[in-house]
Amino acid sequence: MTAIAAPRAPRGAAASLAGDRLRGGPWRGWLGQAAGVVGLLLAWEVLVRIFAIPTTILPAPSLIGRQLVELRASILSAAFYTMSSAVVGYLAALVVGVLLAIIFAHSATLRRGIFPFFVASQAIPVIAFSAVVILWLGNGLMSKIAIAFYLSFFPITVSAVKGLQSADPMLVALLRTFGAGSWQVLWKVRLPIMTPFVFVALRVATTTALVGAIVGEWFGDNNGLGTLILQSLHTEDTVRLWAGIVACAATGTLFYCAVAAAERRLLWWPAAALDS
Amino acid sequence: MPDKLTLERVSKTFDTEGQRLPVLLPVDLRVPEGEFLTIVGPSGCGKSTLFNVITGLLPPDPGGSVAIDGRVMASTLGRIGYMPQRDLLLPWRSVVDNATVGLEVQGVPRAEARRRARAVLKQFGLEGFEDFYPFALSGGMKQRVALMRTFLFESDIMLLDEPFGALDALTRSVLQEWLSAVCAKYRRTILFITHDVEEAIFLGDRVFVMTARPGRLKLELKVTLERPRSPAIVTAPEFVALKRQILDAIRDESLRAMAGEQPPAGP
Repeated sequence: MTAIAAPRAPRGAAASLAGDRLRGGPWRGWLGQAAGVVGLLLAWEVLVRIFAIPTTILPAPSLIGRQLVELRASILSAAFYTMSSAVVGYLAALVVGVLLAIIFAHSATLRRGIFPFFVASQAIPVIAFSAVVILWLGNGLMSKIAIAFYLSFFPITVSAVKGLQSADPMLVALLRTFGAGSWQVLWKVRLPIMTPFVFVALRVATTTALVGAIVGEWFGDNNGLGTLILQSLHTEDTVRLWAGIVACAATGTLFYCAVAAAERRLLWWPAAALDS
Repeated sequence: MPDKLTLERVSKTFDTEGQRLPVLLPVDLRVPEGEFLTIVGPSGCGKSTLFNVITGLLPPDPGGSVAIDGRVMASTLGRIGYMPQRDLLLPWRSVVDNATVGLEVQGVPRAEARRRARAVLKQFGLEGFEDFYPFALSGGMKQRVALMRTFLFESDIMLLDEPFGALDALTRSVLQEWLSAVCAKYRRTILFITHDVEEAIFLGDRVFVMTARPGRLKLELKVTLERPRSPAIVTAPEFVALKRQILDAIRDESLRAMAGEQPPAGP
């Protein structure tokens, strides 16, 4: 018997095989990133002071930082508001996108019949319709959810269709010889193989969902980060405006990192890492 | 011994852009219960097409039939344990959970399926590896997991399509001996495809030689070598004689194929 001393495969084994981890340990990467951010902020601060750039053009990071601390309660609640519509729209996009993909992958007729319209619909700048969406769904959470959903479900659907179709035909044939019907093949083979493909789109969609929520607020709302930015613009409060921008960036980064963490947790086997 | 599997005039023709391409000429085959039948032939001789028809993945041409226990089947899907050349393990499932895929499809509850898998781990040389994932296994071990999956699937007939084709010679020889022992114990009816003439003789109760393009059964040989067979048997005079006979048949066929002649129709 070829009982080689193979390592036991823990969850997360794939992540530990990643190259950067082998080279310097995970903390070294973090340290580099932190140093980069600190360096950038320092350069910004110094340049603003040396050239005496007016606050209306570009406030110093120290000023923005102070503003963030002062307004932390209202900024946090605004971020929470914007994030909730973005996340709900995003999750709806995931569910609808995968369901649509299952239908498309299952029926070539539907795929050929509907998919072209589907693609064409994405060529329309959806943002232009945002005003109408506000009229239809009101200026509450619902309209932002709808816009965030619309902006993110298309790439998810396309990747999911690709993922469902990329199952090894031999593997599907094997399952069929066991007597499996299409639902069993879908559940046991196609959906797991689809997951890495969907995550590629999910990472991109964090941005589009957030953009949808923020832009939606510009067209009508009195809450959220988009509103905070727009109000600051109207009152020419540049520091508050920049605090809003920083909050948006932080929210987006957090969203992205959460999805990336979920991906690492769900897709721990090495082949999955290769696909993404 | 009653026939476990009966093929009557099973042929397969593919239609490609209006052209009819015969891949498999009519085959008649009776496999008694418990027999280990090996099929040997060159690439492209329609061996895999034959297996696809037997498993039910492809329907035979009209007029041909596949019967199990004497009953002609509309479809044999779900009735025959099939093992393709590649292991096709699911990378997100552990050894045990890969081995139970067939049972799960058959509706055996997960816990019961796992219990059955654990019970045969030792037999398949996978004891202690039950919670490993495929990426941590060697090629030979993956192949044994795939075999275990085929064995656990509840069916009396197993089709093995070059299961050791991708393995190195040493691993292959060890697994051949092991498979021979496991099969003697379980007494399943087995059809085994291979390129390797020695493998065909070593494992088989009967060897079929197939010809290429279109495929047909050319030669049938009984292997009366005693079991259990040890690897040393390959130098026994009877073994060598069988090998000579099969190699000659394949050589004739290859030469004819290279000369571009059409082989005579029908077996």
